[in-house]
Amino acid sequence: MRIGAYRLSVERAEAPSPARVALGALLAVALALLLASVLFWTPESGPWTAYRIAFGYAFANPSGLGATVHRAVYLLLCTLAFLIPLRGGLWNIGLPGQVYAGALAAFAVPFWAGARELGSGTAGGVALLSMPLAAALAGAALGALVGLLRAKLAVNEILVTMMLNSVMFWLVSDFIKEGGAFMSATAEGESFTLPEAFRPPLPLGLPPSAFLGLAAAVVVDFVFSRAAAGYRVRTFGLNPQAARYAGIDPVRVSLWVFVLGGAFSGLAGYHYFAAVPGLYKIPTNYGYYGDLSFYGIICALIARGSAVGAVPMALLFAGLSVGGRFAQGALRLPFGVDYAILGLLMTTFVFSHLVDRYRVVWRPTAPAPTSAPPRPEGAR
Amino acid sequence: MNELLARSLEASTVFLLAALGELVNQRSGILNVGLEGLMLFGGTAAFLVAQSTGSYPAGLAAGIAVGGLLGWVHGLFSIRLRGDQVVSGMGLWILSFGLTTYLGSPHTGPLGLPRFPALLGLSPFVYFGILLVVAVWFVLSRTSLGLAIRSVGESPAAAAASGVNVAGIRYLCVVFGGTLAGLAGAAYTLSYNPVWNYNFLMGWGFVSLALVFFSMWNPWVLLGGSVLFGAMWQLSLSPEYVLPGVLSRYVWRTVPFGVTIAILTVISTPWFRTRWGLAKPQALGVPYAD
Amino acid sequence: MTPELEHRTPPPVLAARGITKSFPGVRALDRVDLEVAEGEVHAVLGQNGAGKTTLMNILFGLIHPDEGEVYLRGRRVRFRSPHDALASGIGMVHQTRRLVPAHTVLENLVLGHPRARGLLDLRRARQELEALCARYGVHVDLEARVWQLSEGEKQWVEILKALYAGVRILILDEPTSALTPPEVQALLRALRALVDQDGVTVVLVTHKLPVVRAVARTVTVLRAGRVAARLSVSDTTDHELVQHMVGQEVTLPTVQAPDRRGPVVLEVEDLSAYNDKGVLSLRGVSFTVHEGEIVGVAGVTGNGQEELAQVLAGLRPAVSGRVRLLGRDVTHLPTLDRWRLGLGYVPAERTEVASVAALSLVENTGLNYHFDPEFCPRGMLDRTRLERLTRQILATFRVKAPHPYVRAQHLSGGNLQKLVLGRVLSRQPRLLVAHLPTQGLDVEAAAFVRAQLLEAKARGAAVLLISEDLDEIFAVSDRVGALYEGRFVALVPRNEVDPETVGAWMAGSLGRRA
Repeated sequence: MRIGAYRLSVERAEAPSPARVALGALLAVALALLLASVLFWTPESGPWTAYRIAFGYAFANPSGLGATVHRAVYLLLCTLAFLIPLRGGLWNIGLPGQVYAGALAAFAVPFWAGARELGSGTAGGVALLSMPLAAALAGAALGALVGLLRAKLAVNEILVTMMLNSVMFWLVSDFIKEGGAFMSATAEGESFTLPEAFRPPLPLGLPPSAFLGLAAAVVVDFVFSRAAAGYRVRTFGLNPQAARYAGIDPVRVSLWVFVLGGAFSGLAGYHYFAAVPGLYKIPTNYGYYGDLSFYGIICALIARGSAVGAVPMALLFAGLSVGGRFAQGALRLPFGVDYAILGLLMTTFVFSHLVDRYRVVWRPTAPAPTSAPPRPEGAR
Repeated sequence: MNELLARSLEASTVFLLAALGELVNQRSGILNVGLEGLMLFGGTAAFLVAQSTGSYPAGLAAGIAVGGLLGWVHGLFSIRLRGDQVVSGMGLWILSFGLTTYLGSPHTGPLGLPRFPALLGLSPFVYFGILLVVAVWFVLSRTSLGLAIRSVGESPAAAAASGVNVAGIRYLCVVFGGTLAGLAGAAYTLSYNPVWNYNFLMGWGFVSLALVFFSMWNPWVLLGGSVLFGAMWQLSLSPEYVLPGVLSRYVWRTVPFGVTIAILTVISTPWFRTRWGLAKPQALGVPYAD
Repeated sequence: MTPELEHRTPPPVLAARGITKSFPGVRALDRVDLEVAEGEVHAVLGQNGAGKTTLMNILFGLIHPDEGEVYLRGRRVRFRSPHDALASGIGMVHQTRRLVPAHTVLENLVLGHPRARGLLDLRRARQELEALCARYGVHVDLEARVWQLSEGEKQWVEILKALYAGVRILILDEPTSALTPPEVQALLRALRALVDQDGVTVVLVTHKLPVVRAVARTVTVLRAGRVAARLSVSDTTDHELVQHMVGQEVTLPTVQAPDRRGPVVLEVEDLSAYNDKGVLSLRGVSFTVHEGEIVGVAGVTGNGQEELAQVLAGLRPAVSGRVRLLGRDVTHLPTLDRWRLGLGYVPAERTEVASVAALSLVENTGLNYHFDPEFCPRGMLDRTRLERLTRQILATFRVKAPHPYVRAQHLSGGNLQKLVLGRVLSRQPRLLVAHLPTQGLDVEAAAFVRAQLLEAKARGAAVLLISEDLDEIFAVSDRVGALYEGRFVALVPRNEVDPETVGAWMAGSLGRRA
C-alpha cells in the first residue's frame, strides 16, 4: 500500500522485545474487557456500571477481597498446572478433571477416617497434611496417565485430557449424588461438609496452599531459567527433534511435566474445595469451579509462560470473576458473565499473539521501479 | 428397543456431521481442535434463532452460518497468518464455550417448539448424514477437486507446483468443516435434545475429533464409527438395557469417554501406527509457507 | 543487448532481460539476460549459489523479479504463479521433488492438469500416459506409490508430468544430482530424443560439465548472480567454462597421504535398521573406523546413509547387529550416554535437528553441554562458562554473528553449520559422525568445514564422513566406501580407487570387496 512517498507493508517481525510483548498482553486484556462491556450494557446501566460494581466488590470490599484472593490462588495453581506442560510444548487442558480428582482424593481422607458427620473425627497434623498430599498425588496420577500415553505412544494429549475431564466430572457426581459415598447426610446432591478438625489453619487469613502457590511460582520460574532440567523441558518444547539429538529423553520430559502439572491442579482442587472458607465441601455446582480452572490457561498464555508474571493476571481474573458474579446478581445480568469474559480474553490473546509476529513497516519508495511492485517474499 | 435404535442413530448423526466436516478440512491439512466450540456456537445460535422466530429453517440457517463464520476465522489464523492451528482451535473453543454460556443461559430450558419433523420415524438429519458420507466419499476419491484437496493435505508444495491454489482449497475445506460443525450443533439443539443447557455438548465435539482419527480419514469407516459411538452413548444413558442395576448411572456416563481413550491408545500401538501413519495427511497441522 | 550469435536467426522462444532479484542481505541476480532458441538444449551452468535456481524460479513464475522482463516468443509475459507458466507451455522439474509421496504416480500426473476438471477420468489418463511412456522409452509403474520409487524414477515422473501437460519449454534444475550414472545416461538420451523428435526446448541447469557437453548446444554461465559468458558449447573448452564459472585459475585440492592410524574406535557389525516407512533400509552393514582416520561413505541419498548416521547416534533403533564404541557395546545405549562416551554427531538437518532456532547461540551450545557437570554443576546452568565457550567457538570457527545472544534463526546456513560443527568438535569427540556437513554451503565455508575434519583427524578423532559429493570424499578420506541399497559395496584405502569406480559402486555395480 502506497501512501505518498512511502510504502506501508506488513512483514514478519523479529523476536519482539519483552516490553513490547508485555504491552501486547495488556492491550489484549483491555480489549477483551472493552468487548465484554458491550455484553453488560443494559438499558438501566451503561457498560461501565458493571465494571465499577464488579471491581468495587472484588477489591474494595473486605469479604469480596478475601474471595478474590482465595480464587486468585486457585487460578494461580491452575496456571502452574497448565504452564509447566506448555513450556514442554504440551497442552494440559485436563485441568478440571485433575481438580476433581484432587478434590475427591482430599475428601477421601476424612471419609476414610470415618468423619462423615459434622464434628466427629480426629484431627492432627498427619491428617491435615495428607489431604493436600492425596490431592496432589491424585492429580499427578491422572497427569501421569496422559504423559505416558503421549510419551510412549504419541497419543494426542488434548483428546485424552478432554476425555478424562468428562470421566472425572461424572465420577464426582457418582460420589456425591444419589447415595454416593461422599454424599452429605443432610443435603441432596452435594458432598458432606468438611469437619472443622480437617480444615487447615488460616494464617493471615490465607490457607497454607496460598503460600505454597506463591512460592511455587517463584521456584518454577527459577527452575526454567537456571536449571538444567528446566533447560531440557524448554528445549523439548521448542524443538523435540533437536532435544532428542541432544540426548534429552522425550519420555521423561513428557511424563514429568504432566505429573507436575497434574499435581498442581490436584492441589488446586484441594485448595478451593477444602481449604478456603466459604465452601468446605464439594457443592452441587462443582462444574462451575472446574470450569474456572480454564482461566489458568489464559493466565499462562498471557503471561507468556512466566509463572511470576501470571500472579497479577490471576489476581485480575479472580477479581473479574468474583466481582462479575456479584455484579451479575446486582444488575440482574444473565448467568455466565465470567464465562463470557473468559471467552473474549482467549480470543484477544490469540489475536495479540499473532499480531506480535508481524509489524507494520514504513519504507521510502525506491526510485523509478521498472516492473511490478515487489511483494514481500522469503529468501529461497 | 426401536426408540433406543432411533435415538442412537440420531446421536450418531451429530457425531457424524461434525466429524465429516473435520475429516474434509483435515484432509486439506487444517487441524481444528476447537470443533466442540463450533458445534456449541452453531447449536446455540440455531436454538436462539429458532426459539425467537419459531422457525426451524431459520434456526438451521443460523447454525450453519455461525459455524461457517467460525471456520473461516480459523482459516484466517491458520492459512493467512500461518499461526499455530492448535492455539487457534483452542481459542475458538474457549471463546465459544464462554460466549454461549453467557448468551444462552437466559434461555436455559426447552426449545418450546413442536417436535422436529421426522421422516419414517427418524430425524431427517440421519438421512442427510448418510447422503453426505456418499457425497464426501465421491468428491474426495472421484473428482479432480478431491484429488486437489488430498494433495494439498499431503504435500502443499507439490500441489502448488502443479498449479493448485493451496490457500483457496484450504479455505474452502475449513469453511465447509465449520458449516457442518454448526449444522451438527443445530441437529443437537433442535432435534436430538431440544433443551438448552450450558455446555450442552459435554465433550461430544472432542469425541467427534477422536472419531476422525479413528476413521483413518475414510468416510465409510467414519460412518461405522459414528454409529457405534451413538449406540454406545445411548446405552450409557439407559444402562438398564444392558446391565440393569450394575453401577450408578453416572459411572455409565463415563463409558463412552473411557472407550475413546482406550481406542486412541490401541491405534497408537506400533501395529496400527504404520497403517495409520500412512493414512494421515502428511501436512496436517503444518502451516504452509509459499 | 546480448552478444549476437551468428547462426541464430529465429527469435528466441524464451528470453529474459535485465533480471534483478534481491533477498534480504543478498543480491541473487544482477541484470541477467538469457536467450533460449527454439528446439535447443540450453544449459545454464554455474556453481552452488550462482543464482541458477532463482533465475529458473522466476521463469516459472514461482517468484517475481525486482527488475527485468521475461519474453515468450517475443511477447512480454508476467507470470503470477506456476499456473500461468504452465498455461503458457512452460514446465519445470525442480531440484527437490515436488510430488505427493503418498499418492500413486497416476494421481500425481493428473493433479493440476489443465484438462482435469470435474470428474477424474483415470482410465483415459492411463491410456494417454502409457502411450507417452512408450514414445520416450520410459518405464514407470503408474499404480506405484511415489514413496516407493527410486530418485531416478521420481525424476521421470516429474518430467512425464510436464510433458503430459503439454509443455513446449521444459526447465530442468539439476536433474542429474540424485541419479546414478546409468540413470544419467538414460536421461540424457531421452532429452536428446525429446528435442530432436518433438522440437521441445529444454533449459538445463547444472554444475556438471560432462552433462553440458553431452546434450547442450548453447551454454550461459552464471557466476555470483551475473552472466559470465554465453557461448556455443562446440566453440569452447572445459577449461574455459570452468574459468568462467569460478572466475580464477582453479587448483584442485591437494591430496594427503594416509597417516598412521591408531586403534579401533568404532566397530559396526552386521547392523540393520528400518527407515520411517517400515522398509529395511540398512542391511547388515559392517565396518570399523580407527583413531586418526577419516572413512568416507559415498552414496546417493536414500540408500541407508541417514539411517546409519541415526543408528550410530542412538536416534534410531537397530533391528539387529552390534555397534561398539571404544570397545563398549552401545547398540542399545541411549543417545545421552553416547555423547558422554565421546560421540560427536553433526546431522544433515542443521536447523531441524542440530539447533533450536528460537534459542540464543549460548543456549544452543547447551545442547551438547547440558549434561556436562563442568558446565552444569549441581544441575544449574553455568551461563558464564557457556557464554565463554560460545564466544570461543564463534571466534575459532569464524562464525559471523553480532553477539552470542542472538537467536540461532538469524544465522545464515553456512554460519550455522560452522557453529554446529564447532560446538560438536569442542567436546573433543573420540568419534565424529558427519552427515552431509557441507550441504548448501558456499565454496569458502565448505572448504573450512573440510579443513576442520582434517584437523579433527590430526588430533586423533575417528571420523565417519557420509556425503554425496565424491570430490569431497576424495579430498579428505583415508578410506573410501559406497552404500548402495543399505549395504556397503566396498571399503578400500583411497589411493587404491578412483572417483569413477566409486561412482559405479554408488550405482550398484559390485566392488572388489564387500
